[in-house]
Amino acid sequence: MNLDFSTYRSGDYYDELIDVEGVPRPWARTLVEHLSSLDGAELNRRRAAVDAAIITMGITFTVYSDGSNIDRAWPLDIIPRIMPKEEWRHIEAGLKQRLTALNLFISDLYNAQSIIKDGVFPAEIIAGSKNFRPQCVGHMPRFGVWAHICGTDLVRDRDGTVYVLEDNLRVPSGVSYMLENRMLMKRVFPELFKLCDILPVDDYTTRLFDTLAALSPRPGERPVIAVLTPGIYNSAYFEHSYLAQQMGAVLVEGPDLMVAADDCVYMKTIDGLRRIDVIYRRVDDDFLDPETFRADSALGVRGLLRAWRRGNVGIANAPGAGVADDKVVYTFVPKIIRYYLGEDPIIPNVPSYLCIDADDRSFVLANLDRLVVKPANESGGYGMLIGPRASAAERAEYRQRIQADPRNYMAQPMLMLSTAPTLAGDGVGPRHLDLRPFVLQSDSLYVTTGGLTRVAMREGSLVVNSSQGGGSKDTWIVEAQ
Amino acid sequence: MMLVLSRVAESLYWMTRYLERAENTARLINATTQVLLDLPRGASFGWDVLLKVAGLDRLFEDEYSEQDEANIMRFLVTDERNPSSIVSCICVARENCRTLREAVPSLAWERINSLYLFVNSRAAQAGERTRRYGILEEIIERLQAVIGLLGDCMSHDVAYQFIKLGRYIERADMTTRIVDIHAAVLVPRQQVPEDPTIGLLWMGVLKSLNAYQSYRRHVSVHVRTADVVNYLLKDPHFPRTVQHCLDEIEACLAALPHNMAPLKLLRIAQRRLDAMPIEILAPALRHEYLDAVQSDLAAIHAEIAAEYFQLYEQPDAPQAAATA
Repeated sequence: MNLDFSTYRSGDYYDELIDVEGVPRPWARTLVEHLSSLDGAELNRRRAAVDAAIITMGITFTVYSDGSNIDRAWPLDIIPRIMPKEEWRHIEAGLKQRLTALNLFISDLYNAQSIIKDGVFPAEIIAGSKNFRPQCVGHMPRFGVWAHICGTDLVRDRDGTVYVLEDNLRVPSGVSYMLENRMLMKRVFPELFKLCDILPVDDYTTRLFDTLAALSPRPGERPVIAVLTPGIYNSAYFEHSYLAQQMGAVLVEGPDLMVAADDCVYMKTIDGLRRIDVIYRRVDDDFLDPETFRADSALGVRGLLRAWRRGNVGIANAPGAGVADDKVVYTFVPKIIRYYLGEDPIIPNVPSYLCIDADDRSFVLANLDRLVVKPANESGGYGMLIGPRASAAERAEYRQRIQADPRNYMAQPMLMLSTAPTLAGDGVGPRHLDLRPFVLQSDSLYVTTGGLTRVAMREGSLVVNSSQGGGSKDTWIVEAQ
Repeated sequence: MMLVLSRVAESLYWMTRYLERAENTARLINATTQVLLDLPRGASFGWDVLLKVAGLDRLFEDEYSEQDEANIMRFLVTDERNPSSIVSCICVARENCRTLREAVPSLAWERINSLYLFVNSRAAQAGERTRRYGILEEIIERLQAVIGLLGDCMSHDVAYQFIKLGRYIERADMTTRIVDIHAAVLVPRQQVPEDPTIGLLWMGVLKSLNAYQSYRRHVSVHVRTADVVNYLLKDPHFPRTVQHCLDEIEACLAALPHNMAPLKLLRIAQRRLDAMPIEILAPALRHEYLDAVQSDLAAIHAEIAAEYFQLYEQPDAPQAAATA
């Protein structure tokens, strides 16, 4: 039996590929026609080929609670998510605008703090921020850029509007899945790439290399770039090794490096010590340098911050960049864009309520059953309350947490996340998804073509995080047809 | 000089040592299974010899009460309590490769990972004689595909030398152990020089090293103890002889920095091999010589570890070594 899209409906939600009448959107028509023409056995064969390739290639996402088995296949749904190029160009401009403003904001916070003096941003938010690093005050990295690699989560609401859900400025992951998904789709559906005009994604690693190379303290020579990973037990280890391999960089762990008396960073090689110019670190600030941050960290390098402040090594993302990766700071981003750039935000924020604000707080506490409440500094979907789906006891417990530490919480209305057709059993059903494009900035700005589409594989679920059982889709930006 | 992290060099080295060990064990089992079919009833040769050759007899006795074929097969092929079982070796090689994914061609990881998945699901079937040959041959084929890929798709740079070092040190060690099989089995029966069992056994040894054809072409169609031992230890051309391995190790070391100390130890091993009077050597004496060669190889390994891997082991490396 062939895949049947004719009865597919996404109900109240905006669907990326099929409209409310059940008609494929113009940019999805070729895909839907083609998939409908494949019989069930053929489709299953292709799906099995993808699953087998994922297992063989070891594209895995470690889940901490999995115990002895540290690999887990990261499911790829073979029906892509498609966006027309015109819409994408608009989003791309919005992402560049946003990261530019955020970097100006971080530079300002660690230096003149004009935005606070001008009364646009409240000082007490900085005072309560876990990610504001006093050790960075007075420092200005090259190009004034702190967050060189940003993963921005976008969602689409019921009316079709795309919002920024959060800015990941610390160590965002997922870009390798975007690249591998495309490679797998090309292997398994080569004919689709002839039928549809799909923009390529694979220049990312080259652009990442250029972005990092621009940070070298020894311009003119080919820089020695290292990707610093916490090691094979980290959930994104696959990505760390993948990116290092693709860039021709060295994959290092903390104990591979040392800072010598000259305040330069060296790696330990079979031929003695060799200087490193740029570190793409995938280790959190807290663990980066036991001399400056957590003294018990075995993942970092003693003296690394010293070497960076002396300008002897480039670090991406810079220590302290995470100050802008905070769900409370997030609510100020539209103001931040207006303040530094004098422009209106191209992509809107999701309307948000700050618990530090008395009026907002009482609104949040009165409407816990209708809102999604998030802690300011968690990522990966940990620690949030989905009000409409929580029990009364969970809401009561959360209420106390908010009252104890209002600075640390913000709330948003429950979004009607958009859907796309996803294989389920023998048929196809709507599943919720988001989109994480990656934005690069050093001497220039770059946005991936599309990004990583994460999909909640369980029916009705809104949690797309890979650490919580989500899957992914290839993301196609297509020329209009 | 290309930049090779000490940690990476060490992982490359162990990855190939374990791949080589898995291949050797698979060959040894297949060759032994064939030899056993030809032996007359009551011959003194048994499965326990495999344990002695691999130096695993003690560990086996700790884990099993009976030395029967089923137990020995399980122990050598799938038992994870035996760090040298085929499954354990491939698992360790895979873990090493996991930490190396940027240093080796990505296809190598795919192949090792898929071999790991294969042995996990299929290796237990090697317990049945009718399926053993096919399963082990497939493992050998896949291991060779990995080695072939590394040799063909990786730059033969400094990092590659560690891949070769791991392979040839492991291989030289295994060849000395296999040649020593004679001492392990037949010492008490040595009175009859042309005991046909001995001929069958040496034929099995040659086959386990894939050396039977080339021995016949280059040495003799007759299988004589001294000829076989001489060939497997001293022939410079066949890639599994001790001499060939020593030559390869020397070439690898020559391509590395700071190679004085390990090269010195290599020459000690070479002199010992040269001095072995094979024609007149009784099995017991040969056993002592071979033991000494194994110790020489262990010393070379220790020196390589000290010279190239240890910088990583020390949390605060000597700053005097700093070079920009």
